Amino acid sequence: MQLNDHGESLCGQHVLQYPYRRATGPILGRFFTEIRDNGRFLGIKTSSGSVLCPPVEVDPDTLEDLSVDDLQEVGPAGCVTSWTWLSEPRPGNPVQRPFAWALIKLDGADSALLHAVDAGSESVMRTGMRVIPRFADERNGGIRDIACFVPED
Amino acid sequence: MASRCAVIGIGQTKHTDKRLDVNHTGMVREACNRALEDARLSWKEVDALVIGKAPDTIEGVICPELYMAEALGMVGKPLFRVHTAGSVGGTTAIVGAELVRAGVHDKVLVVGWQKQSESDITWALSPHLPFDPPLMAGAGGFFAPHFREYIRRSAAPDHVGIKVAVKDRRHALRNPYAHLHQPKVCFEEIRDTPMLWDPLRYGETCPSSDGACAMVLSSEKYAYHGGTRPAWVHATEMRSEPTIMPGRDEVNPRAGRDCAAALYKQAGITNPRRDFDCAEIYVAFSWFEPMLAETLGFAEPGEGWKLSDSGATSLDEGGDIPWNCSGGVLSSNPIGASGTLRMAEAALQVRGQAGAHQVDGARLALAHALGGASQFFAMWIVGSEKP
Repeated sequence: MQLNDHGESLCGQHVLQYPYRRATGPILGRFFTEIRDNGRFLGIKTSSGSVLCPPVEVDPDTLEDLSVDDLQEVGPAGCVTSWTWLSEPRPGNPVQRPFAWALIKLDGADSALLHAVDAGSESVMRTGMRVIPRFADERNGGIRDIACFVPED
Repeated sequence: MASRCAVIGIGQTKHTDKRLDVNHTGMVREACNRALEDARLSWKEVDALVIGKAPDTIEGVICPELYMAEALGMVGKPLFRVHTAGSVGGTTAIVGAELVRAGVHDKVLVVGWQKQSESDITWALSPHLPFDPPLMAGAGGFFAPHFREYIRRSAAPDHVGIKVAVKDRRHALRNPYAHLHQPKVCFEEIRDTPMLWDPLRYGETCPSSDGACAMVLSSEKYAYHGGTRPAWVHATEMRSEPTIMPGRDEVNPRAGRDCAAALYKQAGITNPRRDFDCAEIYVAFSWFEPMLAETLGFAEPGEGWKLSDSGATSLDEGGDIPWNCSGGVLSSNPIGASGTLRMAEAALQVRGQAGAHQVDGARLALAHALGGASQFFAMWIVGSEKP
């Protein structure tokens, strides 16, 4: 509690913070568990034959529930289908130097995963470039178990 | 509002403290799948979805209906999100019913849910804002002074709250979907639980639940599609009032009284205790039953506690106007679903589908949901016969 710079009004700090927990469900649960335990990616095969990664729980065409039996391995390498350069990373971003947010289609998948690409320089980035994952040293079952992707070569 | 609306499908999850096996979408689909199966409809046959849950800060996922839309079959279809705090599940059902009655859609899926295990409702409701004293109390601490004032006005004896809690927990034993099942629950057990927020003991408060409840509402054209007889919507009504306003009476809020009066007028109800066969009322804390009995016209002002004390609202005591045969909010509280559950349980009764908590021959039932600081009200009347 304090006066503001002009001595006119009271200013107070307010931090909104609750202890959230997440249940991921059977399909995304397997997706995260495979990344954490084995550094492997899973996609899911739908009735149309497409493989979606990240996997979804519901078939987008039939609207029926998909099952863990429909999961199959994809990646770990993939290619960038679209990207945008972030020249000033913010606290909490996965890479703490200029990097790209990118849509990455892992090998064997028909849809793309959003993640960071640490390419060092914007000039390295291009649509269609090959990338591989770099996993976090300590993995706990979240999307940050993938530290980022980096150029394949 | 010339068209009639029928409840043709009902589905709910088993309410419990932690559904760690499913995420939000999975839990919502579980209830929806059951409602659609009851209505004998597929996801693709649904015209529109009305969806509700209590404030997004509770689980920290903002506008979850947007990321759930695809899994709920709503790509290219109307999806309507409702926000009215604890009453939201009731309001959601009413919005769905109005879409049917207005002739906009033939088959509307409505669903309410909450996953309280993903957060902490007490703290989510008690942010310590700058320059305000910390409430640190959650909903029970907020409502306790209202109950204390009710007791002062009506001179109700202390045991009435305990009696209501025992009654609803005993009702819950008849409902396999209820969260709390306390097989030996009795007066002494509730009485001896710790006093949390005077006059509320621990045993007189609702649990924190994960759960979802869905209904398929249809126009007359599809009313018999499900094969089971439909519940007909006879009247719907909503009212609200500010949290704080001059002259506001938290014990008997005007919005609640006005909501009931307007609802009863629509359906020709003159004596709710006599005219209804049963009621599902939003009793999240024991003392809400006698207080709401007065707001909703089941008892004269100051006399609500006598209704509860007499056993009139108890199935086990053979009461003439059983309240919350399902066990009510006192036995299951997935907040966003709690209002939908009241509406759905009333519909189950008039469809004759309520199983062990069925009121024999129930033909007309009242459902009520309450939200915020006793400030949002959503009510409907359903019947076995066409209105």
